[in-house]
Parts: sequence; C-alpha cells; structure tokens
Amino acid sequence: MNKGHLNCSTDKYHSLGQQLLFWSLTGLMLIPLVAAAHNISESNARFVEGLSGPAIVPYLYLGAKHMVTGYDHLLYLVGVVFFLRRLKDVVLYVSLFTLGHSITLMTGVLAGLSVNAYLVDTIIGLSVAYKAFENINGFKQVFGFQFNAKAAVLIFGLFHGLGLATKLQDLSLSSDSLVINMLSFNVGVEIGQVIALTCIVAVLGLWRRQSGFQRQAFIANTIIMTLGFLLAGYQFASYLWA
Amino acid sequence: MNTSATQTNAIEVSLRKIILASLAALMVSGLILTVFILPAEFNQDPLGLGEALGVKGLSEPQTIAKTVRKEDANYHQDMVSFKLLPFEFVEYKYALSEGSALLYSWTAQDAETLESSLVSFDFHGESHDVEGYEQSYSEGNDDHENGTFTAPFNGIHGWFWGNHGAATVTVTLKTTGFYTESLEFRDGFVKKEVLTNQP
Repeated sequence: MNKGHLNCSTDKYHSLGQQLLFWSLTGLMLIPLVAAAHNISESNARFVEGLSGPAIVPYLYLGAKHMVTGYDHLLYLVGVVFFLRRLKDVVLYVSLFTLGHSITLMTGVLAGLSVNAYLVDTIIGLSVAYKAFENINGFKQVFGFQFNAKAAVLIFGLFHGLGLATKLQDLSLSSDSLVINMLSFNVGVEIGQVIALTCIVAVLGLWRRQSGFQRQAFIANTIIMTLGFLLAGYQFASYLWA
Repeated sequence: MNTSATQTNAIEVSLRKIILASLAALMVSGLILTVFILPAEFNQDPLGLGEALGVKGLSEPQTIAKTVRKEDANYHQDMVSFKLLPFEFVEYKYALSEGSALLYSWTAQDAETLESSLVSFDFHGESHDVEGYEQSYSEGNDDHENGTFTAPFNGIHGWFWGNHGAATVTVTLKTTGFYTESLEFRDGFVKKEVLTNQP
C-alpha cells in the first residue's frame, strides 16, 4: 500500500507557483471552448479540396485542430480521465478510446460510410453525459449495476470515430491519395489528443491535490453532465430542423 | 488493491444527491435549450419565451433582406442636361439615405456636332452625419458611364463634370432612384430642389 504519497498535506501544494500553474493551465484549457469551431471551417475545407495528391501536413494539422477545438471530444476526455490518478490508467483508457475511434474513422472513410453527422454528434453528446453520470457513481447507486468502463470507452470511441469519418468525408477527399491523407488526419487527431490530454491531466492532477476536490469534483461532473445533455439536445435539434 | 472497479469512481455521495444532480443537469440543459438555443438557432419556440426575450430567429439567414430592400414611395426618374462652356464645370448630386439605390447613365457630347466628347468626372458622396467626410466612387475622363449605386452612408451623392476641351459640351444624366433632393452646384451657387413623394 503506497497510499501515502496520494494524501500529501495540502499546504505543500499551495505555494504561489503551484497556484499560478494551476490557474494558467485552467485558462489554457478554456481556449478551445472559446474557439467555437466544431466543424472543419469552410475556408479550411476549400483549401484542402483545392489540393490533389498526398497532403500529409495539411491533414495532420486539420486532424489536430479538429481534436483541440472540438469541445465534445474534449469534454468526453475530461470525463474519462477525471478520476484516473495513475499515468498507466490514463494511457490504457485513452488507448482504448483511440483504438475505437481509429477503427470507425478508417473503415468509415474507406467504405464510404455516410451517417448523419447530427445523429452521431447527438450520441457523442450523450457519451459526455454518460461518463459524467458514471463519474458521480450514478449507475451503481441509482441502477445498482455498472457497465464495464473499459468496454464503454471503446464503444463510445467507435461513435466518436464515426463522427470524425463523417467530418473528413465532408472534405470530398480525392481518391488518389485517400489512404495517406486519411492516415495523416488520424495521426493529427492523436497529436491533438496528446496536446489536449497533457493540459487536462496536468490540471486535474493539481486540482486533485487541492482541498475540497471531492465536493468540487461532484459539482464539476454535474456541470459536465449538463453540457453533455446540452450538446446532445443541440445536435438533435440540428438533425430535426437544420 | 482493487484497480479496475474503483479506479474510475472516486466519489462517494448519497443516492439522493446523485438523483438531484442528474435532475438538475437535465432541467438546466432542457431550459437553456428551450428558452435560448431552440428559438435562437432553429426558430423553434415551444414556450414563447424566445420571442419575449428577443432571441427568436437570431440565426435566420438574412438573404431576402440582402437582395430586396423595400423603400417608402420616393421613387423618381429624371433626366437633366448641363451645357458646359470650355473650362466650365458643374456638380449635380442627389440626397440618398444609407443603403438606397440609384440607377444612372450619363453621356457627354459636343453641343454643336453631337459627337461624343470627353469630360473629366468624379462620382462621389458627402456625408450628412460626419462633417467634411467625402468618398469618391468613380473618377476619370470619359464620354459616358452607366451603373448601379447603393449609398454607403447618408448624404449627398453625385457627379462633378468638367469640360477641358475647346468646344461646348452637353452632359445628359438619366437616373432612377429613391432620392429626396437634388442639388446643382454651379458658378458658386447652389440650386436645391426638394423632390416630393410621388404617389
């Protein structure tokens, strides 16, 4: 049992430097929320459509941009790693998520699978609410059972990938270098995910050591659940009326 | 140490709190959706609150307003002519409010031979709202110009014509538009005419 290092006295972490780091990282995390750009912007789309042949760097960039500015993916990731204390677990869960979305991203694009983006985004919104509800122990307490968290992250990863595939196909990829461009986009998504997760894990790690984290974590997950419902409702309304 | 089951659930809270939090999440998101997002983004207003708050239809495309601009009855069609002796000049302007349109066509011809003749011109506007503000729309030397014009600001908009030739020139201007006044500047005098609404 090496629980000792987890329950360090809180004042040790209350130095000015720690506080500054905590708040600046929190601010950094909010940037993508301000940059409200879920869909690949029109000028970006026109740019890549004008390209023919392999375009590794543009697609890398677009993949990373889509992840870093996609608040639905980010919120889900925050939910997934919220209570993961150990880097090993972060890597495990994120790998499952990556595996899930890579499978559907690639098969979706290669098979030309076209699903309604609004419905996929509705499910992605619900995945955010689901994860937050699981984080406050909702399934166990309210329904008396719990889905396997690892299976859930893989399955929701499949849906997130379906969303990515739909967005990528909106760009009407030229078929001559489809595979290389799609792979570049996928790698870009993972780069963006690493960038986002670095900030998220760092902030959560510092936050966890603050006093009152348990109470704040409950409120934070309730807020994440609200945002998840909001995203799902917004996307479903787009499906109905947009 | 149990690593799989407890790893992701670190909060221990009462059932009551979980249910309350979940209901609050549903209600808050539902309220934001029905009061703000549905009326503003989708023009759907189930509670009528979007209209009351003035957010209804916020994101409706404004395409109709861009191509059609309705005007009160200030519709005028005019034709005016100016005789310009060598080295004479004249300015003729219409009062137009911002966004009002004008269709115009002017020609310049030798008063004797009736052949087309070059004049120097400057189509420009002066603001009513900003003292001394002027903007030039089109200028040069030519014997004619046709076009459509939408006033970029409230003010008087029109032409300067100057005759730099040796012969007398007649400039003829035809306009259709929603102007309220015409002004002629010549020899240091201003001739102003208020145009009444035509039924």
